[in-house]
Amino acid sequence: MGLDFTVVVRNLDYLLWGRLAEGELGGLLLTVIMAVSAGALSLLLGITLAVIAWRYAAIPRKLLFLWAELIRGVPLIFVIFWLYFLVPALFGGGIPNALSVILALAWFSSAAIMHSVLAGLQALPCSQYEAGIASGFTEFQVLRWILLPQALKNLIPSFVGLFASLIKDTSLAFIVNVPELTMVASQVNSRTQLFPTEIFLSIAALYFILCSVLSLIARSISNR
Amino acid sequence: MGGLTFDWIGVLGGAPLEWLELGVLTTLYVTFAGFLVATLIAIVLLGLRISEKQIIQWPAITVVAVFRNTPLLVQILFWYFAGFGLLPADWRAWINDDHSWAMLPGGVGLLTPEFLAATWGLGVFSGVFIAEEIRAGLMAVAPGQREAALAQGFGHWRCLGYILLPQALANAWQPVVGQYLNLMKLSSLAAAIGLAEITYQVRQIESYNSHALEAFAVGTLLYLAIGMVMGQILLRCGPRSGTMIRGGIRRGP
Amino acid sequence: MIEFRDVHKFYDKLHVIRGIDLSITKGEVVVICGPSGSGKSTLIRLVNQLEILSRGDILVDGQSVASLRSRSLRQLRTQIGFVFQQFNLYPHLTAEQNITLALRKVLSITPKDATLRAVELLERVGLADKRQAYPAQLSGGQQQRVAIARTLAMRPKILLFDEPTSALDPEMIGEVLTVMRDLATSGITMLVVTHEMGFARELADLVVFIDQGVILENAKPSDFFLSPQHPRTRQFLRQLLSPLHTAND
Ligand SMILES: Nc1ncnc2c1ncn2[C@@H]1O[C@H](COP(=O)(O)OP(=O)(O)O)[C@@H](O)[C@H]1O
Ligand SMILES: [Mg+2]
Repeated sequence: MGLDFTVVVRNLDYLLWGRLAEGELGGLLLTVIMAVSAGALSLLLGITLAVIAWRYAAIPRKLLFLWAELIRGVPLIFVIFWLYFLVPALFGGGIPNALSVILALAWFSSAAIMHSVLAGLQALPCSQYEAGIASGFTEFQVLRWILLPQALKNLIPSFVGLFASLIKDTSLAFIVNVPELTMVASQVNSRTQLFPTEIFLSIAALYFILCSVLSLIARSISNR
Repeated sequence: MGGLTFDWIGVLGGAPLEWLELGVLTTLYVTFAGFLVATLIAIVLLGLRISEKQIIQWPAITVVAVFRNTPLLVQILFWYFAGFGLLPADWRAWINDDHSWAMLPGGVGLLTPEFLAATWGLGVFSGVFIAEEIRAGLMAVAPGQREAALAQGFGHWRCLGYILLPQALANAWQPVVGQYLNLMKLSSLAAAIGLAEITYQVRQIESYNSHALEAFAVGTLLYLAIGMVMGQILLRCGPRSGTMIRGGIRRGP
Repeated sequence: MIEFRDVHKFYDKLHVIRGIDLSITKGEVVVICGPSGSGKSTLIRLVNQLEILSRGDILVDGQSVASLRSRSLRQLRTQIGFVFQQFNLYPHLTAEQNITLALRKVLSITPKDATLRAVELLERVGLADKRQAYPAQLSGGQQQRVAIARTLAMRPKILLFDEPTSALDPEMIGEVLTVMRDLATSGITMLVVTHEMGFARELADLVVFIDQGVILENAKPSDFFLSPQHPRTRQFLRQLLSPLHTAND
């Protein structure tokens, strides 16, 4: 059987950026924007939490670990559900669906980032901390200027890997009807009915290219 | 502030309760079936990946790259909409027939396009990850172990089977269990192709009587509970690493 | 029993073994010494083909090892025991299982006979009470003795030792040397890389000094220690026997 990719070509602009002309962002562009925003947010949140867990080793760290454990025990779809329904219920008024997905993804991956940053901090030799304190820095300054830069530098490859996961995870936004790449592809599929192989192979290829490029980058960084 | 009030009867009674029961059963079945497929795929991939011949390794490396670098949801949609269509017509007809014998206890159909696509999709995806975890465990075994086995006259495969793999499995068991748990949680994606598992039922309750928060709370707890039980069982059954340490130290120059 | 014929080994461009000729007869105990990085490990790993020869040949019992592949190579390896610097016990198996595994799976000996051999050998190395212990529960000296027992269980014709005491704390070296002394007087052919000069002086039939991949000195222990010919050998011995000398790697 031959494959006929004209359906993909004809809908290419819709798959790549949705109805951008009508002011409705979608497709691959929305996927990338969501992943980038969620990535930036989770980095911020994750590092902050790691610092708290590092500084307050007693109860706060245990609570944070419990929280991370809970997040890991629940399907990502449910984290999205929760933010999608809880945020409007608590603060009144709705937020855009895409935003609630971004928040959910950030929330979800910040747990992983917290763990890896904390591990990175703990892997540094004690002498680093002692040397900093000895030269008159405050505890926070040692963290900010000596420990974090070293720990984060070693973690860059794993952050790139995490970003690739975020790109894949944005596909779950279908559950709240956000028109990212997977969602628009299934719309095209149900509209045309006849070319599922061509459509899904094409978007799989798009994801594949994005993610493999990222993992190549991650590998070349960690080999350096 | 939008007021939050809860009505648990709307979820834990009547039709919603029946739906939830069916959802739990379906999640358990698809997880178990996916577990079997994943284990099989992992064994095959690992076998290819650690063979001594390059030509055999390449297909495995390609498969791993493809399935790791695309979203599971896209894979499931592909298997359901495209993969199923690629099967011979009489197979499809046969699968779509009624099969009383393929009805699992509780009234969950085994031979439905949804169940098959979900099982296969979850199994392949997780199998790829499990194979990679075990391979990482294999790389972590000290090189002296292989040398000691070779020096005793073990061949490639026996050395793997008796010396290297047992240690690799013990090294990798934690992450492997993590992958099996992931499979269970990811079965929630099968709601996208209409498999009536927990996530699907929760959404159905939401549209039936708008008890969204209650339904999500129950769904969340169900996944947590299943994960906890499953994790305990798998950790108990796995290779113990309590009495052992990593093999010898790397041979110096 | 073992005959090295113009043996060479390259790691890519690095010429590590540079033309070794050496003949060892049955029952001889040969000690190989030399500075770190001189190629001692590489040389004895060539005998059982843990490293592949680059040029020349090694004859074991008249059989050329360079030409051996798969089955016949495994067959040869069962007849050559190898004791590693880092012991390399299998950490997932008990002391007894470490000994019986290859007996059952490689030599196809019945489990009952394999266990009998294991018990007998553990007794011989003084560890009869450690049958069920895992390597992690044993001290370094005990681990090395189990490793020697594991090697002996295969009833090899030749024993190769690669610095068997170098990874041990000083107080454990004695117990391992005792076992080795017992073996050296039993008539088995032994090729031992070690810096234990006491062992060499007392038990070796031949001492070989290697530097940068070539044999500089090859003599009876009495001659080797009393009148070394080569200046490098004298320097090596001076360093090794000086009171300030501590660790030997
Ligand atoms: N696998 C290897 N790859 C590259 N070089 C090696 C390898 N093994 C050993 N060498 C090099 O070969 C030389 C001899 O090593 P070795 O036989 O281990 O010395 P010795 O046992 O006498 O200390 C050293 O320079 C070492 O760096
Ligand atoms: Mg050496």
